[in-house]
Amino acid sequence: MDLNYTPEETAFRQEIRQWVAENLPKDISHKVHNALRLSRDDMQRWAKILGKKGWLGYGWPKEFGGPGWNAVQRHLFEEECALAGAPRIVPFGPVMVAPVIMAFGSREQQKRHLPGIMSGEVWWSQGYSEPGSGSDLASVKTRAERHGDKYIVNGQKTWTTLGQYGDWIFCLVRTSTEGKPQTGISFLLIDMKSPGITVRPIITLDGEHEVNEVFFDNVEVPAENLVGEENKGWTYAKYLLAHERTNIADVNRAKRELERLKRIAKAEGMYDDARFRDQIALLEVDIVALEMMVLRVLSAEQGGKKSLDIAGLLKIRGSEIQQRYTELMMLAAGPYGLPYIHEAMEAGWQGEHVGAAYLAPLTSTYFNTRKTTIYGGSNEVQRNIVAQTVLG
Amino acid sequence: MDFDFSDDQEQLRDAVRRWVDRGYDFERRRALVKAGGFDRGVYGELAELGLTGLYVPEAQGGLGQGPVEAMVVMEELGRGLVLEPLAQGALIAPTVLQAAPADVQAAWLPKIASGEALVVLAHQERKARYRLTHVETSASQAGGRWTVSGAKSIVPAGDQADAFIVPARVSGAADDASGIALFLVERAAGGVAARGYGTQDGARAAEVTFTQAPATLLADAGPAFGVLEAAVDAGIAALCAEAVGVMDKLFALTVEYLNTRKQFGVAIASFQALRHRIADCKMQLELARSMSYYASLKLNDEPSVRRRAISQAKVQLGQSMRFVGQQSVQLHGGIGMTDEYIGSHYFKRLTCMELTFGDTMHHLGEVSARMQDTAGALV
Repeated sequence: MDLNYTPEETAFRQEIRQWVAENLPKDISHKVHNALRLSRDDMQRWAKILGKKGWLGYGWPKEFGGPGWNAVQRHLFEEECALAGAPRIVPFGPVMVAPVIMAFGSREQQKRHLPGIMSGEVWWSQGYSEPGSGSDLASVKTRAERHGDKYIVNGQKTWTTLGQYGDWIFCLVRTSTEGKPQTGISFLLIDMKSPGITVRPIITLDGEHEVNEVFFDNVEVPAENLVGEENKGWTYAKYLLAHERTNIADVNRAKRELERLKRIAKAEGMYDDARFRDQIALLEVDIVALEMMVLRVLSAEQGGKKSLDIAGLLKIRGSEIQQRYTELMMLAAGPYGLPYIHEAMEAGWQGEHVGAAYLAPLTSTYFNTRKTTIYGGSNEVQRNIVAQTVLG
Repeated sequence: MDFDFSDDQEQLRDAVRRWVDRGYDFERRRALVKAGGFDRGVYGELAELGLTGLYVPEAQGGLGQGPVEAMVVMEELGRGLVLEPLAQGALIAPTVLQAAPADVQAAWLPKIASGEALVVLAHQERKARYRLTHVETSASQAGGRWTVSGAKSIVPAGDQADAFIVPARVSGAADDASGIALFLVERAAGGVAARGYGTQDGARAAEVTFTQAPATLLADAGPAFGVLEAAVDAGIAALCAEAVGVMDKLFALTVEYLNTRKQFGVAIASFQALRHRIADCKMQLELARSMSYYASLKLNDEPSVRRRAISQAKVQLGQSMRFVGQQSVQLHGGIGMTDEYIGSHYFKRLTCMELTFGDTMHHLGEVSARMQDTAGALV
């Protein structure tokens, strides 16, 4: 047993830290450190910088052009990026669809799609949820009917994060209504410029446009865009969900945001208020405990052992912690959490702030973060899964 | 980064677990509680396994083991709900004694390792609550001999231990850390009186008074306080590990009960309200286990880092112990309320552990006071 990183791991971290310091644009990290709005350009600029270095697909094996890092190295990379104020890598391409294409896609699909994902040139979206299929994802109704060498797709996806920027979308579509719902699902790659696709914004409670509805009206999709076998899509979707488990806890970002919470509390005179400070201390304990849990999972993966049965807990705890620090930031703002000036969350806004600039995004972020216990399988569904492994 | 146990550590775990399984069942424990809560014979059995020498250097007849081995042993003792104060004798006392003069070490460490002597920490005072700095017991020197006078409270197995490690004041006001020195006082010495009683978890403790009792100096005022803190921190890390064992077993009992007990014609494990509660218990158990690892792996860090980590761990463990303990009773329903059922005894042990070496609120205050701008497991 050893809590510390090896000298090699520490050197690796150092290398990442230096590279990120030299390559992460300051205007972007400024926005991240202050929870200001990120534009498509911000996100894609950083993606392309990483892509050029070959690190956008930082979880990829060498045979597909990735760095071939192990679990601990991936964690260190995520941590260094997070602490430096890098935007989260938009996961739909490099983290979600790419591993599925690698594992189940054809040679042609791999050649066609992986380079654009790695370089950050092609923006991918995720077409999973539907109005009638949230937690019960296997009930998806969007139909794909085979007509010769094409599928004709009809239906609707929703909660499509950043779908307004999407070039491509990977979708779970129904190709059969026979048998169990899970057995009639296929995994389809769809060009979002195809005729018949309409993307409509959903404005969330914080006034932001982050998620969308995507409508498919007789959309023609070449049959070659089917990943793997028809009606096996559910298997691939589960593979995808199992693929990235530790990062879902987002503990690295939590550490960065805890620092920001302390800065805000100090600036607002709340850091020396014992009642408030104890709440920060409690959160700090929660974050250390979460980090230890993440490290235990990483260490088990590293050892090539059967994964610990605690991976399912990470999403629950990580999302709760995310909600807690945004809540405490809002509470630190106190009455200055009340004003809502939409433009005040724009970097370089020249208007007059109420109170101070750093206060402007806090309540909006609090509202936005309510999503974390809902998405990616609601925490109630996650508890069902944990209970299943414990109780049978 | 490695959270695997070595083969030696696994063997140690197996040895302790075998002893618990074979020699320490619930009926025996019940009889031991009835007989007073401490049994020298049982302590001797732990000594035969070598466990009383865990932290005693090999040169002094001990095992010379570290925090991870201690953690493994304590987890298993927790699982078995073992009453004997092994952490006191085998971990806390040797931590202090290794800072003592060589002749004192030579006189006591071999006896501790063999189990011949049980030495416990007598630090609690009536007005101290969880502050180690609050010491009213005084020590004075005359003709080159030290004596100690004062009262110590809730001393583990205090009416049966062979000697006490006693923090006593040689100068300063009641909360001045720099005026505290550490002494060893034998129970058989003149001027020592002990009044024993049972504790809520079935173990034993005593109120111990010292009236000009002859004492051996272990650590001078100044350095002594750091030694005391280190010893208590070793005790807290051990307590965290023991608590993980207690919770692990209680959780398993609860899971088994939910899958066995039927109401409305079905196993109550089928009810979602209870399934979610079990998921929450599992969460608290694993957070606790993670922080128990953390406490043990940070035990040899520099004092300021160690103290913060230990307090962080105790905050997590305190919350987990309360949640898992209370929910286990709730999930068992009426049977969880009975003395006859083993589960209630696990709950009571968890409750007592929160009140030992600082409760959650106390340690949250410590974490709060020690916060830095940055935080994380490796800070």
